[in-house]
Parts: sequence; C-alpha cells; structure tokens
Amino acid sequence: MSTRPQPTQHERVLAEDDFIVSKTDLKGIITYGNRIFIQISGYTEQELLGEPHNILRHPDMPRAVFKLLWDTLQAKREIWAYVKNLAKDGSFYWVFANITPSFDSSGNPIGYYSVRRKPRPEAIQAIAPLYRTMLEAERKAGDGQAGMKASSAILQQVLEQKGVTYEEFVIGL
Amino acid sequence: MKNLSLGSKVHYLVAVALALLLVFGYQAGTAGRLSATAWATFAVLVLVVALSLYTVYRILWAVDNLTQKLKQAADGNLGQRITRIKNGAATHELAWALNDLLDQQEAYFSEVFSAFDHAARGQTFRLAVDQGLHGAFKDAMKRINISVDSLGQVQQMALKEKLVSQVTDLNSGNLIGNLRSIQEYLMNMTQELSIVGQLSKETAHEADDSRATIEHLVANLNQVAEMVAQTNAQITLLHEKSEEITQIVQVITDVADRTNLLALNAAIEAAHAGEVGKGFAVVAEEVRTLSENTKDAAASIADTIESFGRATARMIEDSEQVKDLAEGSRSAVTDFRAQVLKFADSAKTSLFQVNKAQDFSFASLVKVDHFLYKQNGYRVIHQGSDSAEAKAIQSDHRSCRLGNWYYQGQGAELFSQVPSFQSLEAPHASVHQHVHQAVDLLQGHWESDPSIQHRIFTHFEAAERASEAVVQIIDRMVEERHRAV
Ligand SMILES: Cc1cc2nc3c(=O)[nH]c(=O)nc-3n(C[C@H](O)[C@H](O)[C@H](O)COP(=O)(O)O)c2cc1C
Repeated sequence: MSTRPQPTQHERVLAEDDFIVSKTDLKGIITYGNRIFIQISGYTEQELLGEPHNILRHPDMPRAVFKLLWDTLQAKREIWAYVKNLAKDGSFYWVFANITPSFDSSGNPIGYYSVRRKPRPEAIQAIAPLYRTMLEAERKAGDGQAGMKASSAILQQVLEQKGVTYEEFVIGL
Repeated sequence: MKNLSLGSKVHYLVAVALALLLVFGYQAGTAGRLSATAWATFAVLVLVVALSLYTVYRILWAVDNLTQKLKQAADGNLGQRITRIKNGAATHELAWALNDLLDQQEAYFSEVFSAFDHAARGQTFRLAVDQGLHGAFKDAMKRINISVDSLGQVQQMALKEKLVSQVTDLNSGNLIGNLRSIQEYLMNMTQELSIVGQLSKETAHEADDSRATIEHLVANLNQVAEMVAQTNAQITLLHEKSEEITQIVQVITDVADRTNLLALNAAIEAAHAGEVGKGFAVVAEEVRTLSENTKDAAASIADTIESFGRATARMIEDSEQVKDLAEGSRSAVTDFRAQVLKFADSAKTSLFQVNKAQDFSFASLVKVDHFLYKQNGYRVIHQGSDSAEAKAIQSDHRSCRLGNWYYQGQGAELFSQVPSFQSLEAPHASVHQHVHQAVDLLQGHWESDPSIQHRIFTHFEAAERASEAVVQIIDRMVEERHRAV
C-alpha cells in the first residue's frame, strides 16, 4: 500500500454478535480474513491477502502497544489489546483483539490467529485517553527507542497503580 | 484411477468424451455421410456439451476443494480456509459458509484452550469469551465457563493449600522457637526460684535466731528496771527517816531553849536571894551552859540532816529518771520484738510462697517440654526421620526432664507423698511410647499407604490424650502438695 488513507472522524461499529477473524504468517502478512473483516475494513479480499497487517494501522495507536503485542506473541502467549483501526475510506473502528499463535502438529509456530470483537464503550472511554498520553510521550521523545520506553513506562505505571497485570487490566475494563 | 480425486476424474471424463466425439465426427465427415447443416449442428452440440461439462467440472473442482478442507477439519485441523473466492461463483456462498464455520470452531477451541490454560495456573479472571460465537457454540461456551470457573477455584484452592501448608510449617517452626525460649525462661526461673527459696530458708532461720536474742535482751532489761525500782524505794524510805530525825532535833532544840530560859530565871532568883542563892546560881549557870551546848549540838545535827536530806532528794530525782529511761527502753525493745516476730513470720510465708512458685514454674516447664516433644514428633512428618526433630524425640520417659525429676530429682524428694504421684508414671510413659511408634511408622512408605497414615494418626492421637493426662496430674500434684503444707 503506497498511499495511506486520510483518517476521518467517521466511526464504523462492529455488530455485537459478530467477530472479525484474520490470520497472518509469522511476519504479520495477512493470509486470511473473514467477510466481516473485508466488510468493515473496506478492502477487498484481493487487496488484503499478502499485505502486512499494519495496512489497518491508525495513527492514533501508540507504538508501545504493538511492541507489547509482538513481544507477547513471540513468547508464544496470547495477547489481548484494544486497537483503533483505520479503514480504507479513512473511517476508524475500535476492536478488542485477541491474537494467539498457531502451531503445527509438532508444535512449531506457523502463524497467528486473531479474533476481534466489539469492545464495551466504557472500555474505549478508559483506554483512549491512556493511548493519547502514551502517543504524546512517544512523539515528544522523537519516536525512537526513548519514546517507546517512555510510553511503556506510562502503561506500566497505570498497572502498578491498580496492582494488576496487563492481561487482568484489559480483560477487566 | 482409484487414487484420483473427483475433480481429476471429471477432468479425464470430459477429455475422453470430447476426444471420442471429435474422432466420431471427423470419421463421419470424411466418409461423406454428413451434410453441412448436420455438421454444424453436431459441432454446436459438441460445443454445448463441452461447455456444460466445463461448468460441471468447475463446480466439481470447487466442491472437491471444499471437500478437502472439510476432510482436514474432520481430522481436527481447523486452521485451513478457502481464500480468493470468486464473487459470482456458484460455490461462493458455500465456501464462505465453510470459512464461517471454521472461524466459529477455531475461535471456540482457541478460547476454551486459553481459558483452561489460565485456570490451570489459578488465573480465574480469564474466562472463555462467547461474544461473536453463534448458536450451539455460544451455549457450549457458557457451560464450559462454569467448569473453567470451578477448575480455577480448585486450582486457587490447591495453591492456597500449598501456601497454607507452607505457612503452617513455618508457623510450627516459629512455635517451636517460641516454646524453646519459654522453656529456657522457665528453666531459668525454676533455678532462680530455688536460689530464692534457699535464701528465704536462711532468712527464716536468722529471724528465729534474732527472736531468741531479743527475748534475752528483754528479760535483762526487765531485771534492770526492777532493780532500779527497788533502789528507788529504799532511797525514798531513807529520805523519810531523815525528816523524822529533823523533827526530833527540833524537839531537842525546843527543850534546850526552854531549859536555858529556866536557868536564866533561876540565876535571877538566886541573885535576889544573895549568898543563900550563891550555890544555886552556880547550878543554874551549869544548867544554862548545858542547854546552850545541847542547842549547839542539835543545830549541828540539823545541819547534817539537812544536807543529807538534800542529797537523798537529788538521788530520788536521779533514780526517777533512770526508771523512766529503763521503762522507755523496755517498751522500745518490746516493739522491736514484735517487729522481729512479724519478720520471722513473713520469712516463713515467703518461703512457702517461693516453694509454691517453684513448683508452678516447674509444672509449666514440664508442660512446655511435653508440648515441644509432641511438636517435634509432628514435624518429623515434614522434616523426615533423619531430621534433628527425629533425634530430639528419642528420649524415653525415664531420661527426659520430667523423668529425671520424677525418678531421681526434686519430684521424688518433695512429691512422692502426694496422692497423685503414682498415677503420673503410666500416662507419661504412654506419651513417649506412642510418639516413638508414630515416628517408627514414618520411616516406612507412609506417603502412599492410607492404612499406615491412619495408624500414625492414631498414635499421635493417643499421645495427645496421654499428655493431656500428664499435664492434669502434674497440676493436681502441685495443688495437693500445697494444700497439705
Ligand atoms: C494476527 C495479527 C493481527 C493484527 N491485527 C492488527 C490490527 O487489527 N490493526 C493493527 O493496526 N495492527 C494489527 N497487527 C499488528 C501489525 O502487524 C503491526 O505490528 C501494527 O499495525 C503496527 O505496525 P508497524 O509494526 O508497522 O509499526 C496484527 C498483527 C497480527 C500478528
């Protein structure tokens, strides 16, 4: 994807009963997307397959969240994350993503499987301001390693304050 | 052909049918048996057949693809999906429906796996999410969550149990430490009390000695006071006598004065009588001189008596003071005696109290000993039969502290007369016996054998009951001894 869509304030909302399913290889290249995914993202199946998953990356998302996402997946553990996604037409949609590593019959990782559901509005209300402060910290530090550190520290601080793990925190929202 | 898939079978079939038709048409054409229209009709027919066969082939190929995925799914491989599905294709819906089914199934199993995985680690907050699942999948998930929840609780309980048992272990370790310090404290106290007891005994003796000394002193003082009183009485008598003498001397002086006056008158009368009276005048003179001498003698006697009287009066005064002094010291000594008596008494009661305290502290020490002994027995369960605890409980009822006390020490000396003394031996021996038997059993394979575990438990139970009896009997013995005293 050479030109990124221009983000707008238009929101798309996932139905309560549906979920978005997608699969990627170990590098995050999309290998499958279900019809809900195709519909809400605004891309065709052809456009999605073979593309990296960051095709949906919204500029409002802090990088530290994706770092945590990849670190967790590479440790062969599942991850939950609230993600604001960017559709092809510039609109956005919030999901509560669950990503798990997939293994072949001998236990080697072969890709990732992601199921994304509609988050509760309260959860978005809680997570959006946190992401904003994390993003600000990343921008202020110039988007390098320092930014990532500062941003992760903010998340860590919230967790320590509440005395919970990241997993408990997001599931509990 | 047996190994070929449905799609490839159709592929072969179509190719063979077309080839046969073309060969047949060509032969008929070259033989001149067919008109031009018939040829055209034949060709169209062949084309139609070919096209419909191709369509059938395409459908069958797609169906074949679906069948492959379904077979894989049936084998438990839910990861497969059909991609690049053509929009207008007849199998379009079918393919997406299969994908949806696989999505539901994979999401279902992925959720169940994650939730159980967390629950097994005691993390109950991660339930399986049913949002987005449909129909039977959703219902099943709700049920699954009930068991995930209870598994999580069981796991949490197991973790708690583990902690509780660790804490109990720690606690009993600390308990033993605490008891050891109490034991040491009681040992010191018992020792201290026996020193205090010895001192009290000596004090009581000393108090008795001082009482005797005081009694002696009081007797002496009484004697002194009596003697002073006697002397005093005699002096008073003397003083009275000297006053009587003064009176008699006064009478003598009066007589002398009157005699002098009479002699003077007689001399005057003799002068009147002249010579006749001359002799008489000499006598009168003699009488006057005599009365004069008598008066002088009486005056000097009065002088002497007066100074004597003054001396005795002073003596009376002095002896009065001595009497007061003697009286004063006697009452002081009497007070002192009362105090000494009280002191001797309290020395005796304090000796009694100290003995009692000593017995109580020893009784407590014995209780703690027994408690420790049992605790060590229990700890062998955790620490194993080679542990320090196992060694600590090897003593028997004759060699332990209570045993020493009972058979050789103060117990035998001071308590053998109290009624309960004899009854202590049996339960005390039983405590040691049962703990020994329990620990012997702990050397075997008790971990996997419930019947051995039961026997161990029974022995510990018996030891508990026996030690309860020991403690009660010791209390009773102390009580009996001090009631008797
Ligand atoms: C299975 C899977 C699903 C993902 N889903 C999303 C997504 O919905 N939105 C998104 O922005 N990133 C998603 N990512 C993360 C992207 O791969 C990428 O890390 C992220 O968009 C940030 O882009 P960047 O790594 O180029 O900075 C997903 C990754 C995997 C493995």
